[in-house]
Amino acid sequence: MRAEEAQDVLHQAVDRMRDLGAVFADARSQTVRVAGATTINGNLKQLVEKSTGGVCLRAWGGSRWGYGTATSFDRDAVLRAAEEAVSNSRDDSAVRLDLEPAVSRGDHRADVRVHPDSVDLDEKIQAALDLDRAQAIDDRVINRTGAYSEEVKTNALVNSAGSDVSWEEVRTICRAMSIAADGQRMEQYYDGPDSTRGFEVVRDADLEEIGRNAAREAIVTLSADRAPSGNMTVISDPMVSGLLAHEAMGHASEGDEITKRRSFLTDAVGRKVASDLITMYDDGTVPGAHGSIRFDDEGTPASKVTIIDHGVYQGYMHSLETASRLGVHPTGNGRAENAGKRVWVRMTNTFFGPGDWDRDELIADTKEGILCDKMLNGMEDPVGGCFEAKCLRGYLVRNGEIVKPVQSFTLTGKSIDILSSVDALSKEVLLDGGMCGKGIEDWVRVSTGGPYMRARMIVGGGQ
Amino acid sequence: MSDLEVNVESALRALEGYGQAEAYGLESVIHTVYVDGTRISNIETKRESGLMVRMADGGRQGKSSVTIGGDSSVKECVRMAEAVIRHSPEGPAVRYAEPGSARISDPGVWDGRVEDVTPDVLREMAQRLIDSCGVDIPRAQIRVSTNVSRVMNSNGVDVGHRSTLVYGHFTSMFRGEQPGEGVETFHGTHLDIPIEDIGASLARQARDSASAKGFEGHESLSMILPPGQLGDMLMSSVGAAVNGENVKYGRSLWKDSVGQEVASDCVSMTDDPTVPAPLSCVFDDEGTPACRKPVIEGGVLRTFLRDSFCGDSTGNGMRRSSVEAMGAYERTPIVKPLNLVVSPGNLTRERMIEQTDRGILVERFANPEADELSGRFGLNVRCGYLIRNGEVVGVVNNSLLMGNMFDAIRSVEMIGSDLTQTGVISTPTMSFSGAELVGN
Repeated sequence: MRAEEAQDVLHQAVDRMRDLGAVFADARSQTVRVAGATTINGNLKQLVEKSTGGVCLRAWGGSRWGYGTATSFDRDAVLRAAEEAVSNSRDDSAVRLDLEPAVSRGDHRADVRVHPDSVDLDEKIQAALDLDRAQAIDDRVINRTGAYSEEVKTNALVNSAGSDVSWEEVRTICRAMSIAADGQRMEQYYDGPDSTRGFEVVRDADLEEIGRNAAREAIVTLSADRAPSGNMTVISDPMVSGLLAHEAMGHASEGDEITKRRSFLTDAVGRKVASDLITMYDDGTVPGAHGSIRFDDEGTPASKVTIIDHGVYQGYMHSLETASRLGVHPTGNGRAENAGKRVWVRMTNTFFGPGDWDRDELIADTKEGILCDKMLNGMEDPVGGCFEAKCLRGYLVRNGEIVKPVQSFTLTGKSIDILSSVDALSKEVLLDGGMCGKGIEDWVRVSTGGPYMRARMIVGGGQ
Repeated sequence: MSDLEVNVESALRALEGYGQAEAYGLESVIHTVYVDGTRISNIETKRESGLMVRMADGGRQGKSSVTIGGDSSVKECVRMAEAVIRHSPEGPAVRYAEPGSARISDPGVWDGRVEDVTPDVLREMAQRLIDSCGVDIPRAQIRVSTNVSRVMNSNGVDVGHRSTLVYGHFTSMFRGEQPGEGVETFHGTHLDIPIEDIGASLARQARDSASAKGFEGHESLSMILPPGQLGDMLMSSVGAAVNGENVKYGRSLWKDSVGQEVASDCVSMTDDPTVPAPLSCVFDDEGTPACRKPVIEGGVLRTFLRDSFCGDSTGNGMRRSSVEAMGAYERTPIVKPLNLVVSPGNLTRERMIEQTDRGILVERFANPEADELSGRFGLNVRCGYLIRNGEVVGVVNNSLLMGNMFDAIRSVEMIGSDLTQTGVISTPTMSFSGAELVGN
C-alpha cells in the first residue's frame, strides 16, 4: 500500500473514533526494519533481517485510554481496532480531562550521513567479524563476540487535533564483548558505539581498537580483587553517573509518577535536592545520541527538560495526559516500545552537566575511594527515593593513585543524600546508549551520561 | 486450514532447495488492563500475527521475520531471508530440529475462559483488586492472551501448539510518615488469579515496608529467599550454568560437572513440562519433543538443557516468553527451561524463621539477579526482615545483601513447602548460609 493510502486509513480511523464518541483520538503506524549480524569466536552466529510493525489506535474517553491494534493497513482491520479502542476507553467517571496536543506536520527523514539502506550487507557482516577477530589477542579470551545491528523505524501519526506527521529514526550499534577465563574465574568486558547516526558510526570507528580493548580489559579483570563494602567515596565514570541520573532522579521525575503521587519528588519543584554543582537534563534533541527522537509517540516534538539546576529541582517530563493533569505543556516524553505497546512517560537522553575538574585531577585529589568502570544495569525506586546501580568493575584509589582493579559491585543509597554529597565533577561529559524498561517491561531506547562525579554512597559486591 | 497454517506451509514450500529450512508462525490475541494511581487507566485489545523463516546451506544461513500484514507478507519474509543468505559467510554446518513422537501428554495449558475474555471481565478483576487492597495501587496490570503457533521444517517437523497465558504484575503503596511499597506477580496459564489474596499481600507488604529502617553496619548471616526473589536469582545463575549454549562455548562454570555434586544434597531440580506452566508444551518452539528431565538430583548435576543449535536437543529451544505473547515470532530460539521445578521441603516460612539464629528474610530486592558467569551478587534490599534467635526483630531497607549463588546452592540450610511459579521456574522459599549484609 502506498504511503498516501496508508495515511488515508489512519485519518479514517481517527474520524471513526471521534464519531463513536472519543474526546481525543490518534492513529499511529510503525514499521521497524532491523538488520543484524552476530559472530562468536570467528563464526557467524546470527544473520537476520526483519520487518515488523503495526497500527495502534488510541481513544481518550475523558479519563481513560482505550487501545486497539492491527497488524496491517487493511481498512476493515484498522476500523475494527478503532472501534475496540473506543469501547475500551468508556468510563463513567465524572472527571473529564481535555488534552492539549501539539499539531505536528510534515515528513521528516533521519539526519544521517550514510543511510544503512545504502550499505551492502557484506560490509555490515565484516564489521561484526572485525570486532570479533580483534579480540583474539590471548588464549585466555574464551569467547569473542562481535555484533552489528541497525534499526530503521518509520512512524506516521494522525490525530484529532490536526496532526498529520511522519518521521524516520535510524539507530546503529556495534559491540565487542570478551569473556576471559583463567581456569578459576571468568570475567567479561564490552565496548562499542551506539547512535542515531547512520553507518558512518561504523566507518568512523576504530573497530580493531574497540575489539582489542574489550579483550585486554576482560583479562585485566581476571586479576581483580573483591570490591570493598561500606559507605565510601565513589568516583563514578560517565556511564555510572548516567545510570545514577537515570535511576536515582530520572524515573522519579516522570510525570505519571507525579500525578499519582508515587514519586519522592512529588511537590519538589524549587526544593534543594543536590549539591550546587549538580545540573541535570533529559534532552531528546541531542544530535546523534541513542535516545534522541524527533517526535515522541504522541507526535509532540522532543525537547530539553531541565530537571535540576545547580542543585534546585526544576520539573518533570510529560506526556499529553500527565501535562494536562498538572496544567503544563507536554515535553515530548510520551513513548511506547512499539506499535503494540502503550504510551507513557519515558526518558530520552538523561545526563548530568559538566564540572570543571579533569578526570586525573579528580583521582589525584581522592585519598581513599573506588573508581567505577562501566555499568551493568540499575533499578529505580521512586517510592523510597533510593536506587541500585550495578558496576561492571572498578579500581581502588588510595592517596590519589589507582591501586588495583576490583570485581563487579553495586552502589546504593538515598538519592538526595548522594547527590548532595557530590563535591567534584569532570569537564568531560559522555553519553552511552541502552534500553530502559519501566517497571519490568516496555523497553525503549535511551542514553544516559554525565561527567566523572565524586560522591559518598554504599558499596558492596559478592565474592 | 487457518491463515497461520497456510502461511507456514507456503513459506516452507518457498524455501525448497535449501539444505535446511524452517518456518514458524504465531497468532496471538492479547487483552490487558492497567491500573495507574488506583484507577483503571488503560484497556487494550491487541492482535498479532507473525512469521519467521530460517534456512541454511551447509554453513551459510539466512533468517527473516515479518508481521503478517497482508497477502505479500510471506513472500516478503522469504525474499529478505534469501537476500541475507546470499551474503552469509561459511560457518559450522547448521541443522534444525529432527521430527519425533510426543513423549508426554498434553500439559493442559489452554483455558477457554481466556479466549472469551472481554474488557468488562478485565475491568471487574482490576476493580476487585482495587477494592480488596486497602492501600493505594500506583501501578498494576493484568494481561491475558491466547497463542496459537505452528512450526514446520525440511527435516519433517510439523507441529502445532496452543496455549493461554495469564500474567499479572501489581504494586501497592502505603502513605505514612515514610511511604512503603509492595509488589506481587502472577504467572500462569489459567484465569485463576487469586485477586483478594494478592490485594491482602500487597497491603501487608506496603505497611511493613513503610516501617523499614536503613541497616547500619556489616554482618554475616543466613538469607531466606521467598519464591518471588529466589526464582530470578536461580535462573540467572543455575539457569545459565545448565544452558547448553553456555556449555558449548565454555562459559558455564558447570561445563565439566555432569555427574558431580554442584549443590547441597537436599537440592533437586526437574524441568517438568508435563504440568500447566507458562511454557509447558508437548513440543518446543523448534518442534523437538519435550520431556520431563531431572537437572539436579540430590545435589548432583544430571544434564544440561539444549536446543538444536547446541545439538542433541533436549526440547528446550524456545521463542515464547513466560510473561508476554507479543513478538515471539521475531525471536530466534534460545535455550530455556520449560518449567524448572525445585523440589519443595516440608517447612512453613514461619518454621524456617524459628530455626534461624541470625538471618534476613528478603521480602523484596530492587532487582533479584546474580552474575551469570560468576554467580556473584550485591543486591539492594528494599524490604527485609532481620531475624535474631528465631524471631523477626526489625524491618530493614537501603542496604546491600552480598554473596555468590553458586556457593549458596551448596550451602542450603532449609527448604520450604510453599512451591510457587515465577516465570519458567517454580521454587519454594529456601534458606542459605554465608551471605553478608552491609549498610551505612
